[in-house]
Amino acid sequence: MSLIEALSSSGADILEIGLPFSDPIADGPVIQNAMMRSLKGGFKVNDIFNLIKKTRASGIDIPIIVMSYLNPIIRIGGNEFCKKSAESGADGILLVDMPIEESEELDEIVKKHGMDVIRLIAPNTCEARMMEIFSKSTGFVYAVSVSGTTGARDNLSKQSIDFLRRVASIRTCPLAVGFGISSPDHVRQIRAIGVDAVIEGSKLISIYSDYTLSNEERLSRIEEHATEMKRATVD
Amino acid sequence: MNRKGYFGEFGGFFVPEILVHALKELSSSYDRLKNDNEFNMELSALLSRYAGRPTPLYFAKRLSEKFGGRIYLKREDLAHTGSHKINNALGQALLAKKMGKTRVIAETGAGQHGVAAATACALLGLECEVYMGEVDVERQKLNCYRMNLLGTKVITVKNGSKTLKDAINEALRDYAASSDHTHYLIGSVVGPHPYPAMVRDFQSVIGRETKAQILADTGRLPDSLIACVGGGSNAIGLFHPFLEDKDVKMFGVEAGGNGVHSGKHSASVVAGAEGVLHGARTLILQDDDGQILETHSVAAGLDYPAVGPEHPYLSRLGRATYVAVDDSKALFAFHLLSETEGIIPALESAHAVAYAVEHARQNQNEVIIVNLSGRGDKDVAEVAQMEGYF
Repeated sequence: MSLIEALSSSGADILEIGLPFSDPIADGPVIQNAMMRSLKGGFKVNDIFNLIKKTRASGIDIPIIVMSYLNPIIRIGGNEFCKKSAESGADGILLVDMPIEESEELDEIVKKHGMDVIRLIAPNTCEARMMEIFSKSTGFVYAVSVSGTTGARDNLSKQSIDFLRRVASIRTCPLAVGFGISSPDHVRQIRAIGVDAVIEGSKLISIYSDYTLSNEERLSRIEEHATEMKRATVD
Repeated sequence: MNRKGYFGEFGGFFVPEILVHALKELSSSYDRLKNDNEFNMELSALLSRYAGRPTPLYFAKRLSEKFGGRIYLKREDLAHTGSHKINNALGQALLAKKMGKTRVIAETGAGQHGVAAATACALLGLECEVYMGEVDVERQKLNCYRMNLLGTKVITVKNGSKTLKDAINEALRDYAASSDHTHYLIGSVVGPHPYPAMVRDFQSVIGRETKAQILADTGRLPDSLIACVGGGSNAIGLFHPFLEDKDVKMFGVEAGGNGVHSGKHSASVVAGAEGVLHGARTLILQDDDGQILETHSVAAGLDYPAVGPEHPYLSRLGRATYVAVDDSKALFAFHLLSETEGIIPALESAHAVAYAVEHARQNQNEVIIVNLSGRGDKDVAEVAQMEGYF
């Protein structure tokens, strides 16, 4: 909760809360380890609903997206999961391992509960498929800047920039970019292409999980980094 | 299969967008090549001249006399590299080569698939890297050396439960970043479409040979087929060509570990719940929150919390029956087959042997075929240690 407050007060426009899963195949080591720590610490799916409720009760009203792998949702039941998410105050659902081929039924459920269906586009997604993904998404579309898994990278390759240009040129709803984003320079580069938002996960988690520092220090580093990133979106 | 990649309600294509392109490319390449004469002739030449097929169907006379029935063993343990895994490894490695891929990655539990993949890649001149959980590396050291010997790099996976499922996670992550030049050679009938159907097709050579051999030998079809099931590739390979022969019963033997009620086992069909793991909707050992459970079996190759989607389908249809055999019975069968027939079975296959002798006791007039999916050389050191021999 203190992390959410820190991000919100530093200017985050949207919060993406990941549901820890034992087998996160699209995530790199930083997020994998965070998920393992959370599960070892006794995380239960219901905790995410309580966290969102608390966030809303504290007056934070920026959109909240729940990001998850499919299995915990199947286990609880798609309808039950979406109902609880919406009631807690979530605005959208992003299912990592749910491609458009399989998602029709669950999309309807998400929409029925008044939430957005957020989808990913990858560097090797062909153009016709991109159009289909845009047409089946609401809220925003999440472009994955690099092939592979989540995790901070030093540089954005020319390939990534070219890919993001292509997606930006055909987008029919807001476009956010994630995977590998970790510095204000990345943000400025991406802004220049005309992308609407950047998504940062692994870098924030690495800052926050430096347990050699005190809790206050970790939070203040998060605030510092998030403020810098936010500044890069508008300067 | 009704919808693409589905076996009834199981199977499908539940993968992150970053994997979609690679899997669609694989799917269309396989659809094209599976009916290609040249490809099939090349593969069948490799299977016969290189891998030693057809493997014998052997009548286990002494075992039958001891327990009843007429028990036959399909001797996949005699295939090159010591298990059925070579059938699929050669098929997919050849496919990878035709697709223009230069690098192959694979996951392995017991190490049998890793060795088979390393072998196929050495033969076809492909670079090969194999992901293996740290726990499995420890208990199957010799297979790691074998892979090294064959020119393959073994990558130890230290995430999660450090076993087969984590090796698959890591291989999928690699594939997401490398699929332009890399083929992911999955070793069982698990994973997203097209893997369950493709691996089944490559393994069905087991059942096709068995059918011809038993007809030649006895002039009739068998009463029962018995095979062990981890991911389920040797079982589906034996079962599939017999699916239309309604009088042939089929038994899939899962790993009961310390007993299904102990919670320490790998019996996904017997005790799992529906969910999605590694790209397929199937039966999975999981907790109430949908987190995947850590599994246990004395046989590393059965130590997997899910199962190929065609097995729950056959189970729901009532076409095949799934049972669990625990560690102690498998170890008993490991000794039994060694002493009675002079064949040391892999611990995985020993599960099938254990169920077969129980089945034979109760069905004295049956012709029973057991898929002896692998040989036990890889397990000898571990069992000797377990029994305090050294």
